[in-house]
Amino acid sequence: MAGNDSQVSRRSFLKAAGTATVAATATSSVAGCLGGGGGGGGTLRYGRGSHSSTLDPQNTTSGEVAKVTNQAYEGLIGFQPGEAALTEALATDWTMDGSNVTLQLREDVTFHDGSDFTADDFIATYRRFVDDDYEYHFEDASAYGPFTLGNWIDSVSKDGDYTLNITLTQTYAPFLRNLAMFCAVVISQDAIEGDVNLDEEMVGTGPFELSELDDANNRIQLTAYDDYWGDAPNVNEVLFLTRGQNSTRAQALVEEEMEIIDGLDPDTIETVEGSDTASVETEQGINIGYMGFNMSRVEAFRDRRVRRAISYAIDTQSIVENIYSGIATQADQPIPPALFGHSDDLSPYPHDPEQAQSLLEEAGYGDGFSFELTTFQNPRGYNPAPLPTAETIRSNLDEVGIDVTIDDRQFSDYLTYTAEGRHDAALAGWYTDNADPDNFCYVLLHPQCEVPQGQDWVSWDTEGYNTSNITAWANQDYMNHVEEAQTTTTQSERADLYNEAVQIAHDEAPWVYIDYAEEVRGVGNGVSNYTISAIGGPHLDLVELE
Amino acid sequence: MVSKRFVAKRLLLLVPVLFGVATVVFAILHLSPGDPAVAIAGQRASQAFVEQVRTDLGLNDPLWQQYLRFLGDVATFDFGQSYQIQRGTPVSQILADRLPITIELAVLGQLAGLLFGLPLGILSAVKQDTLTDHLTRIGALSGISIPIYWSGPLLILLFAQFLGILPTSGRIGSAHFIDAVTGFILVDTLLAGDLPAFRSAFRHLLLPIVVLGIYQMALISRMMRSSMIEVIRQDYMRTARAKGQGEKITTMKHGLRNAFIPVITIIGIQFGALLGGAVLTETVFEINGIGTLLVSAINQSDYPVVQATVLVFAVMYTLVNLLVDVTYSVLDPRIEQ
Repeated sequence: MAGNDSQVSRRSFLKAAGTATVAATATSSVAGCLGGGGGGGGTLRYGRGSHSSTLDPQNTTSGEVAKVTNQAYEGLIGFQPGEAALTEALATDWTMDGSNVTLQLREDVTFHDGSDFTADDFIATYRRFVDDDYEYHFEDASAYGPFTLGNWIDSVSKDGDYTLNITLTQTYAPFLRNLAMFCAVVISQDAIEGDVNLDEEMVGTGPFELSELDDANNRIQLTAYDDYWGDAPNVNEVLFLTRGQNSTRAQALVEEEMEIIDGLDPDTIETVEGSDTASVETEQGINIGYMGFNMSRVEAFRDRRVRRAISYAIDTQSIVENIYSGIATQADQPIPPALFGHSDDLSPYPHDPEQAQSLLEEAGYGDGFSFELTTFQNPRGYNPAPLPTAETIRSNLDEVGIDVTIDDRQFSDYLTYTAEGRHDAALAGWYTDNADPDNFCYVLLHPQCEVPQGQDWVSWDTEGYNTSNITAWANQDYMNHVEEAQTTTTQSERADLYNEAVQIAHDEAPWVYIDYAEEVRGVGNGVSNYTISAIGGPHLDLVELE
Repeated sequence: MVSKRFVAKRLLLLVPVLFGVATVVFAILHLSPGDPAVAIAGQRASQAFVEQVRTDLGLNDPLWQQYLRFLGDVATFDFGQSYQIQRGTPVSQILADRLPITIELAVLGQLAGLLFGLPLGILSAVKQDTLTDHLTRIGALSGISIPIYWSGPLLILLFAQFLGILPTSGRIGSAHFIDAVTGFILVDTLLAGDLPAFRSAFRHLLLPIVVLGIYQMALISRMMRSSMIEVIRQDYMRTARAKGQGEKITTMKHGLRNAFIPVITIIGIQFGALLGGAVLTETVFEINGIGTLLVSAINQSDYPVVQATVLVFAVMYTLVNLLVDVTYSVLDPRIEQ
């Protein structure tokens, strides 16, 4: 419980987490929570770029699906609206004592199918996701199964209907945050073991229930769930509408055909800002865009002076300001500013070609060298313009004698190519899964395999190598800090460890840190009490319409 | 009268055509870069997980085995399940949902083209070298030259943004939910007896129909004009006039039927272009037919959906051309021989 250094309780999480984003949003969020049911009802039309490929949270890694499933399903733990901090959901209290997690579950909660929520529902949900021995195991479960639960849970048991005991394979501090992820939401046991097609139906406990899935017109209609355990939603109905083109979506918002839209780019931001019916709202995202050096493949990249030289040579400020048009901020470390562990003492590498040239000469590469820069073709949130970014990098590095060839690929091809380590360097990026620094520091920069003594990189074909680390960087000092942070359950101590880890990552420069993209939404004038959530959400039950 | 043998022969020809199309699509998909297993597993998946997905999908089997399995499935009309677009849903069900949307659009576009193209072509031919003829020809030339990806957004800007009288995109207003009986939104709204929904659907379809129809109209009117000019000069037309038959009756009764054959050819050949146009039109107007389905499936390496959609396009194209040949035979029985 709180106060005990070896344990993490709900209270300590609420106290400590999410410090960066609390101030701006807490007031409205709390007001929204307290004022539940006080809105004027109505239909909230939410416009987005893609339709849901499924309604089953265990059958996808797509955030687009999560936007809908998060309205109908709830996890044991949730994220506070607009924050990275954890909050109660279907569990009202929890403790983490080493590798043992105990959760007290909320009583008097019913699923949309009318069945009561108990510990058995979580156990069935968990087993469907990852347990091959379970009769109702879901064969097509997404990669999130092992990634979030399967790799960490040793066993799950219940103590009565409303107490869950989870034993982990090791002490793993981010686990509670994994429980708050959209894929870990609780599905009705009756639905799992009954004849329900969860790709097309949602049987959760959330504030909205599915009314209509209209694949022919890319629409999903949700209505307020009458027996919801919490405050009733402020709107009666939510309609998810799909408009693939940003311009069409923005136009629909301006024409008052939608109330909220996401996926705005600089051009469509202008459209919305120029209207008198809607406005643009932004919030710090929890993501990073970067360029990773493949040290397994390019010898020059194994020299930190070369990596630092390239970091000095690339004008990331210009990329963020001119290419990303102000919807991102310059990055300087692997952990985004909204998360604990982000160090305020670091700053981006300045654009300094002279310093770059000097470092290259010192490293014996004064005459330059050449490499191929692999990038995906289509814009992604953390990199709204991959090809212009690559072009700028090529032009910047040309000034210091480095010859860059751009290799652009369709995204799934890019993923295969980089996962096989065939890139020299690659543009990449990451959206947080669980708003934990480990999700950046361990997942993206730890090799997760044996490292040869005295070497700070590994060969790509090392057994068990973590291919999400596209750099093959394996700095022992950094790894020690990140591993210790995984098994440290006191958040302030974890923050200190991550502060030191990101200092190393900044100085060693395995990445060129490019940007942290903002979350941008277009919001109609009639909408109030809407909070942008970079993790969890969108919390549409809190939204009020005029 | 069209003989059954003629139709059966043409239907049998479908088999080698579809076999060829299936082979080419399979080859292109499997030779192009991109791994559906990676696309399905996502960025978070471990290599072991991706490998498992690959094995489950049979993508590790030799290519010839995958090919034979694919042909076997196609022969039994089993197109498998969608990898990505609608995960786990049978592709045949997705196509059944989406196909009527594209057919409705293509047929209405074609009808609009015929409705305006035929009279304009006839008028242009009858009034050859007059101001009416010149204006019609300029209009037709413009219609052929303007690509859909340009005319579409332009019409959206004019009618949706500036004038605000038509919606920007979609097939029906967000407030209307209609059960799909036929899949044709205009028909379904009428069957439901929901006139406001019908009006909404009609307003949504108007611009896409116009965009598709402009090109068809331009092409049909040009072809009709040249064909009609040729027919007008024929002896039997002069004879009809000499017998005292009025100009209008001569043109419509004797001229139109004979001038129609080349136009029918164009309609058949252009049906492929119309489907191609539907891909663009659906994209511009955010209509969820098989055009947008194909684009999304290619982007997401959803092999079963791409394969089935291309085959459906091929079947539709071939059947329409069969229909054209049958129409020839009706218009001119000598053709069948």
